[in-house]
Amino acid sequence: MSENTIISFDNVSKSYSDGTVVLKNVSFELERGKFYTLLGPSGCGKTTILRLIAGFIEATQGDIFFNGKKINHVPANERQVNTVFQDYALFPHLNVFENVAFGLRIQKISETDIKRRVEEALKFVNLIGYGVREIQEMSGGQRQRVAIARAIVNDPEIILLDEPLSALDLKLRTEMQYELRELQQRLGKTFIFVTHDQEEALAMSDEIFVLNEGNIEQSGTPVDIYDEPINRFVADFIGESNIISGIMEQDFVVSINGKPFECVDQGLNPHEKIDIVIRPEDLEVTTVDKGKFVVTVDSQLFRGVHYELSTYDEAGNEWLVHSLKQADVGAKIGLNFDPEAIHIMRLNESEEDFDARLESYGEDPDEK
Amino acid sequence: MEKLSKTSKLYLTFVMVVLYAPIFFLIFYSFNSGGSMTNFKSFTLTHYKAIFEDDRLMVILINTIIVALLSALLSTVIGTLGAIGIKSIRNRKFRNTILSMNNVLIVSPDVIIGASFLILFTMVGIKLGFLSVLLAHIAFSIPIVVIMVLPKLNEMSNSLIDAAKDLGASKRDILTRVILPYIKPGIFAGFFMALTYSLDDFAVTFFVTGNGFSTLSVEIYSMARAGVSLTINALSGLVFFVTIILVLGYHFLTLRKTKGVRN
Repeated sequence: MSENTIISFDNVSKSYSDGTVVLKNVSFELERGKFYTLLGPSGCGKTTILRLIAGFIEATQGDIFFNGKKINHVPANERQVNTVFQDYALFPHLNVFENVAFGLRIQKISETDIKRRVEEALKFVNLIGYGVREIQEMSGGQRQRVAIARAIVNDPEIILLDEPLSALDLKLRTEMQYELRELQQRLGKTFIFVTHDQEEALAMSDEIFVLNEGNIEQSGTPVDIYDEPINRFVADFIGESNIISGIMEQDFVVSINGKPFECVDQGLNPHEKIDIVIRPEDLEVTTVDKGKFVVTVDSQLFRGVHYELSTYDEAGNEWLVHSLKQADVGAKIGLNFDPEAIHIMRLNESEEDFDARLESYGEDPDEK
Repeated sequence: MEKLSKTSKLYLTFVMVVLYAPIFFLIFYSFNSGGSMTNFKSFTLTHYKAIFEDDRLMVILINTIIVALLSALLSTVIGTLGAIGIKSIRNRKFRNTILSMNNVLIVSPDVIIGASFLILFTMVGIKLGFLSVLLAHIAFSIPIVVIMVLPKLNEMSNSLIDAAKDLGASKRDILTRVILPYIKPGIFAGFFMALTYSLDDFAVTFFVTGNGFSTLSVEIYSMARAGVSLTINALSGLVFFVTIILVLGYHFLTLRKTKGVRN
């Protein structure tokens, strides 16, 4: 455990009395002052991790450490952690000022200090002058900010955010992404953000944990996870992707539908069965004779920035293509891509093996 | 709201007239200077004056109000804590059983409740009078308070409790700073209901009251049995007005609350 570690999970499991297991032997360490995101579909265990850190529930097995101290049985009201809830959980009988002051009043802090700190917190979230308003008078985005102010005013070491943006409309959500990221950097506190929205995760995080069915599938920076997903689940969950089975013929050669293509991966067993990911934006539309393979355009959607083409190759595999130019539905087009666009995923590879394999590419002088 | 058709308006008016006619008839004759309810002679307030000049009646009135206020207050405290207790029961089956037992008490006939209290009090040896009436009123008001408070508790999101814990609140803080303020409207509603039930109650009081202690409804009943006197009309009229004022008061209280929410 390094000195910078603030939270660490050691083989933590959580199951309920009815037998449902929501977390299976999860271990990880979080560093001080970073923005972490727990990303996964509903029921993957991300909120469970958050509630374990907050202290609302206790782990069935394993240990949780906070600043090196075991906190398995420390009740929620004695932890230096504050939460921004999904429904904000603002107290409707108190006004904005009193909501933010709630934690300070419980600590019996003097009235002048309370006033100063609450106003500071409100200033931090751009709500100066809103103290006397009732919660019912605030819009969704403003309530969001009150909830954040209420969490930061207590000066906790960690701030937990449980899908706080899910109730906002798209424009406000994007705005709040910028604000949250900026707020985290100004405060320098550890943020742990839970979401099922991969765009939010990619935009804000220092590090993302992708969870599925109570396991951590992959962790890493947004770029790593997007560019090098470990398996089908991660590739599918993060961004749009074409995932297709293939065979690693030899180093730097992979075959799709029996057709060989140049790639940048090596060190796998010859003729190993693998999954291949090619992102839709890495596919380039060209004429039939210039393309590496030929597909038929089945349908097309205008997405604003680009057209999203749904195409099928001769073997019946679907290929999503993001193209700046419009195509004709029913027409045959060629698709082109760079060797780097092919990303290889071994079946059932563990995260350690995967990281080691990627590392070995870097050491190889022949690469690229 | 959708506009009502002519027939439904007519029907509603008819129902209201049928419901209120006897009361208005009764109140109307309370102003009659003649001694009976058959012909109206002229307007007078003597019957009302008679009430306030009758010391015995005044004592009964004060008794009624004291019993109502005390029983409403105590049953509100007990019922609110009970509702919080019921809400915190994890086992659903057990919780529903308790809730059903609570509801049975509300719907069971007053006569049975009154009779059973009479048997209980005589067995335990509580003297029939002020204390027995008060205890009985508290007992039948508690389920009403529970029923009024529970919806508010159910409406409260669990994340509010989590949030309070998260901000460092102890169990006591959670109760006094979050739960009680949140369910305050329900508590007030329960208090008012308990108050009106206690003021209204005839059957239970009739059973458990003893010599020398009486409440208005029991007194009106015995006066009516004794013979026709327009003082009864005047007294009933007063009770009716007080009830109306209570209902209006409650109405404006809730109106202010919902207005606050809408803004």
